Amino acid sequence: MKNVIKIFVLTILTTLFYWYVAQMVPQKETHPPESAEVREDMSTAEMVVVGEKISTGKGTCFLCHTMGSEGSRAPDLAGIGQRATTRIEGYSDIDYLAESLFEPAAYVVNGYNPIMTPAHKAPISLTQPEVLAVVAYLQSLGGSPTVTMKTKLKYSADASVTPAPTAVASSDGATVSYDNLSGEELFNKYACMACHSLTDPIQLLGPSLYDVGNRLSRAEIYEAIIDPDAVVNEGFVKGVMSATLQGAGFDKDITPQQLRTMVEFLSEKKGS
Amino acid sequence: MYAAFVLAVPMFALLIEYIGYKTGDKRYDKLAHEFTSLLSVSFSFTATLGAILTFMLMILYPRFTSYLVSIFDKTFWPYGLLFFAEAGFLYSYYYGWGKFSPRIHMLLGVGLNIVGTAIMFIANAWLSFMTSPSGIDEAGNLVSTWDAVNNYIWMPINIHRVMANVCFGGAIAAAYAGFKFLGAKTKEEKAHYDWMGYVGNFIAISALLPLPFAGYWLGSEIYAFRAQMGMVLMGGAFSWLFIIQAVLIGMLFLGANYYLWLGMERIEGAEKYKKFVKYLLATITVCFVVWATPHSLVATVEEARKMGGAHHPVLGILGVMSAKNTAVNIMILTTYISFLLYRRGNKVATVSWAPLGHTAQFLIFAVTIIFVIIIGIVGYFVEASVRIGLSVPQVISVLSAMISVTIIDIFLFRNARIVGQIRWGEIPARAQYMLFFLAVTFTWLMGLMGYVRSGLRLHWHVYEVMKDTSVDAFTPTLGFAATVVSSIVIIFFIFIMFNFWLTGLLHKKDWEPKT
Repeated sequence: MKNVIKIFVLTILTTLFYWYVAQMVPQKETHPPESAEVREDMSTAEMVVVGEKISTGKGTCFLCHTMGSEGSRAPDLAGIGQRATTRIEGYSDIDYLAESLFEPAAYVVNGYNPIMTPAHKAPISLTQPEVLAVVAYLQSLGGSPTVTMKTKLKYSADASVTPAPTAVASSDGATVSYDNLSGEELFNKYACMACHSLTDPIQLLGPSLYDVGNRLSRAEIYEAIIDPDAVVNEGFVKGVMSATLQGAGFDKDITPQQLRTMVEFLSEKKGS
Repeated sequence: MYAAFVLAVPMFALLIEYIGYKTGDKRYDKLAHEFTSLLSVSFSFTATLGAILTFMLMILYPRFTSYLVSIFDKTFWPYGLLFFAEAGFLYSYYYGWGKFSPRIHMLLGVGLNIVGTAIMFIANAWLSFMTSPSGIDEAGNLVSTWDAVNNYIWMPINIHRVMANVCFGGAIAAAYAGFKFLGAKTKEEKAHYDWMGYVGNFIAISALLPLPFAGYWLGSEIYAFRAQMGMVLMGGAFSWLFIIQAVLIGMLFLGANYYLWLGMERIEGAEKYKKFVKYLLATITVCFVVWATPHSLVATVEEARKMGGAHHPVLGILGVMSAKNTAVNIMILTTYISFLLYRRGNKVATVSWAPLGHTAQFLIFAVTIIFVIIIGIVGYFVEASVRIGLSVPQVISVLSAMISVTIIDIFLFRNARIVGQIRWGEIPARAQYMLFFLAVTFTWLMGLMGYVRSGLRLHWHVYEVMKDTSVDAFTPTLGFAATVVSSIVIIFFIFIMFNFWLTGLLHKKDWEPKT
């Protein structure tokens, strides 16, 4: 009987040890993805928000893709909105992003395997409006979202391809381009200096960008502009920059070319 | 767990019986018979638990059950008939021990194994279909029963399960021997159960060594079916599960080696190899630490934000596949070396080419280890698509090394000079507790891997075909799963101890009224 008790105690202790190890690792409860509400009358800005929700939820994009770091399984999505404009000759960013979602094996980024399944088929099963929202979100990562809920993709049931224009439309309908401005001019145009110092390591409403090129990679600078709440420095309040940019119409006005110029400009700020 | 045990024991019982038949050594026949004695009660438990599982599925998941029936109805008839056949073979194999000629008896054993394996293969078709369905159209309607059976992961699951069952069955049988050893009253009994424990453990470890390779195959088939599923498995919701698995397997390797090193104490002449134990222990420990190193840090969201991500701000990514694959391959080789030292403990090779044989074995090990490490280092400098494929040459080189060294060893120690005896029964009691520790670890590991194989589908009953639409559908946390697995392990061991006790009644004297 003594041996039976010893064996029983050993069994319990061994089991408890493994149970304890399992409690020490990060705990994540996975629920079936919730469907994001996609309305036909959504603005492009709303589509970006919904698209992000789909990408991180039902779309499971970040299971393989990364944001701001080199992806070992699938390409980094930071700056994809900008890269999409030039990825394939003759393709607009919407064409490219739509093809990537519907026919992911058609163009595979060098160094990666064709592992992605079409987003409109199981297990992801995105609907057409959901795909449009995801395209809007992807455009916003380094570029300007131009897709609308009325944009017809060549994969749509009524197949005519009429991607939205990539130029920025002003409020009166005339096309205005600031693509020739320098990084510093764009910095001033969008009033970034109101919150960020470029010349000194001093803190204003936002952190100094005096040496931002030393602290952040280009992809991280993209992310900091496009999704300022993704990583917020200690001591700063989340939501301030995104609200300021939204209020200033930054999201609507910025073009991929301008964003590229700004990121290049900021990445050269090394603090000297 | 019961099914695994019931399917595995006949495999090695038949093998041991065959060895006894060929060598004429009655000890083997007795051992095989004793292993088989564990089966009859376990078979009843298996059937009962299987029936409970079926009823629970029908009651709790009627829509899902009826869908599976619509796909696999043709397989249910042979399954039921095979179960009858298994009962016939099993009881005639056990109760017919010594009642038939050895050949006829072994034929019954062959029949038992064929039927048992067929039953497992059919059941595997159902569960593997849930993960990688095939043989159906886009709406999920059956097109071909054979294609539904022969889905992507069916054969990898079959092979993996056969090996894992042998591993598990050997470990439970060894635990039984340990249990009997601890209660043994005579030297003869202790010697017998010490030997039985050694054989059971040998079977378990022999099946454990190639098991990771079967796991690679299964994993690669999952990736081949749907890469996203592979990501969920290795890089998504379940990535931390493999750290727990690494701890469990590390414990298995440490425990198995410790048992061998303790066993060497009862071999006269094995003292000369004692000096190597510390190096073997150091190697296994280092490999264990490398293997159990997570990819990223355990950090709260706030901590991750401060670090700028989940990875260490200076070191970046920690545990990576290249290093882990290298570590596990070296750990396998180290365990194999422990076994080799144990095997030759009381022997001296007398063949004329002995020095050459020893040198060849040493060179094979050295070249393999260097090759495995170089491949591991190369993995850091190539693209992910290339890196994934590098595990194949590592695996092939380790398997080739083990096979070639074993072949050399067999011929090298043929007609070897015996310099001492193996003092069966003279082994510390802690070795027997180690057998129990290994059995509990195997059982826990089995439960954990069962969870991931099933949880891998996330919110799908049948992946991409039938969603789990119940209101409380979710994939639990690893902590929750560990609580369930731990409870099952404890229940299983309470049951199995009861089985051991029941089996022990066979050898008790009949009750007689006190006079």
